[in-house]
Amino acid sequence: MNFLIYISEKINPLQSIIVLSASVLISSFFAVSGRKAFKKFIIVITFISLISAFYLNIYSFISAGNFSSSLLTFGTLQVIEVSMILFSTLNLLLFIAIYEIDCNHFIKILMLLLFSAICAIFVVVAGNFILFFTSLTLFVLTIFQLAASLNLNISKSRPHILGYFLRPVLTVILFFFGFSLFYGAAEFKSMDQILNSESISNPLIALGLIIFGIAMYLYFFLFPFQNPYLGMVKRSRFSSNAVIWFLYFPVGFFIFLKFGDLYNYYIGKSSIYMSITFMVIAFVCMLAGNIGAITTGSIRRILSFLFLFFTGIFLLNLSMFSAGIISSVSTKWINMANILLIMLSFIPISSVFNEVEKNTGSDSINGLAGFGRSNIFIVINLIILFLSWLMPALYILPLMRSRMVSSGAVALNIILMAIIAIVIIFLTVNIFRVIIQFFKRSPGGTVQKIRFPRFFYIYITFFTLIILAVSVLCLLEISGISTGTGSFKITDFNL
Amino acid sequence: MSFQFIIYFNLALFLLGVFGILYSKDIVSLFISYQFIIISAAVNFLSFSKLLYKYSMWGVIFIIFGVVSIYFLMFCIIYYIYMKLDPLQKRVFYRNFRLFKITRSDWWGEDNL
Repeated sequence: MNFLIYISEKINPLQSIIVLSASVLISSFFAVSGRKAFKKFIIVITFISLISAFYLNIYSFISAGNFSSSLLTFGTLQVIEVSMILFSTLNLLLFIAIYEIDCNHFIKILMLLLFSAICAIFVVVAGNFILFFTSLTLFVLTIFQLAASLNLNISKSRPHILGYFLRPVLTVILFFFGFSLFYGAAEFKSMDQILNSESISNPLIALGLIIFGIAMYLYFFLFPFQNPYLGMVKRSRFSSNAVIWFLYFPVGFFIFLKFGDLYNYYIGKSSIYMSITFMVIAFVCMLAGNIGAITTGSIRRILSFLFLFFTGIFLLNLSMFSAGIISSVSTKWINMANILLIMLSFIPISSVFNEVEKNTGSDSINGLAGFGRSNIFIVINLIILFLSWLMPALYILPLMRSRMVSSGAVALNIILMAIIAIVIIFLTVNIFRVIIQFFKRSPGGTVQKIRFPRFFYIYITFFTLIILAVSVLCLLEISGISTGTGSFKITDFNL
Repeated sequence: MSFQFIIYFNLALFLLGVFGILYSKDIVSLFISYQFIIISAAVNFLSFSKLLYKYSMWGVIFIIFGVVSIYFLMFCIIYYIYMKLDPLQKRVFYRNFRLFKITRSDWWGEDNL
């Protein structure tokens, strides 16, 4: 027992990575097998390893606390992020197990999935720039391999996959250049060194941050550079799209959070013109996402555009922080809440729409006509999940009680409120467009009930209940009403 | 060679890479433009290491890890082009490809297959 504790202390905080690696090692013995029994065995092994990694990630933090070395940093923020990655990978495992089990390369695909999860965890816990950069490059590589393997038989998707991944390659190269500038500023090797240094205001750091900003903008395919992203999502298999939405994008958000303190330092000292620039970019991204979703009839494109809309919310947070409306800590919390909202709502919604597409044979929104009459339980869940997208409307609250009104910069406050109001109106139109479609009569008159597997009902309900519980708790906390859960407060955590 | 000259030369390399990325119409030019930025970053690391930090090893180690991982990624993408694209698709990439292509369907209406 003492030996196990000793080993656990030595590998802390990499327990979750070691468990996942062990699963990859076991899978490698069966990699070339096409037998269904082996495939099922590997699914079970992968599932157990992911659950164990999830448990060990939280357990190691509770038992050993924060960890920091020249190589790794492991605090509250990292625990939450790693848990999200593992949760996301668990869902991806489910999608791949359902839709790709007949594929000859199934076990290899699962191995690639675990590799990408391991790289994503390294990106999150990396304490120094070399480890961070190498993990990021390998992460992009594994995601590329995963997307390519999942679409092996779809010839028309290949040029789009290629076009898509040439963009993250540029992101990685720009990161390489940005780190060279950081190095030039004062031989910085990690983010903590920069934050605690007197050279933080060195122009090379500022230039490096601008390069990182551009790189991240390209990584997220924000307006007007979304062409390869939309092209790929439209033509790829659902499991491949899920990998992009629930692994590639969340890791991008976590990278953004990693640089958050440094950005906050500069943005906090910036002029009003910086705030206005961020506002304009955020507004354009969110509006373009909404307009794109309204003008298309393809469900895949609607989801892709709305995903871009939620990515634009990160820019809105930045603009609110630069305007002095929310604090640095609140920015982190709102960003985290946004990531959670995206994951908890998009995972069930996209899986239901994929089932509908499979049954109707088309991804047109017209295929949803009558769905609300034939599958009432699923549709009620979907409506709750859709309505949870209106949570960004809560941004109005800090604006209303903003200190800016007293400081005289009322115009900026009013512009921000107008931006939020406009994009929320467009988002509401998008949501109700889909909901109305659920209850429309189908052109043929008769609606065939779509038969979902039984576990699907439990799966969707699980997400709906989480969203409902979190929404109610947050609303009560924001309103200042005691939730009856003792002294526990979500916003008490120090990220 | 003065430090100032290296910095200006480096900036020129970087801008050449960026210009190439924005202007190139085929994938080979795009990869060459990528190389310019990688070389520019590598020269940055080496010059800072030599002239500012007395031959600190950190920059050299970063170059080794960085260049190996980036080239590995680019190799996989090039391999994918050669192995998986049919001749017609390859021709598009060799003659008519832009990294930052903006079309009307990116934000309005349908994307016709």
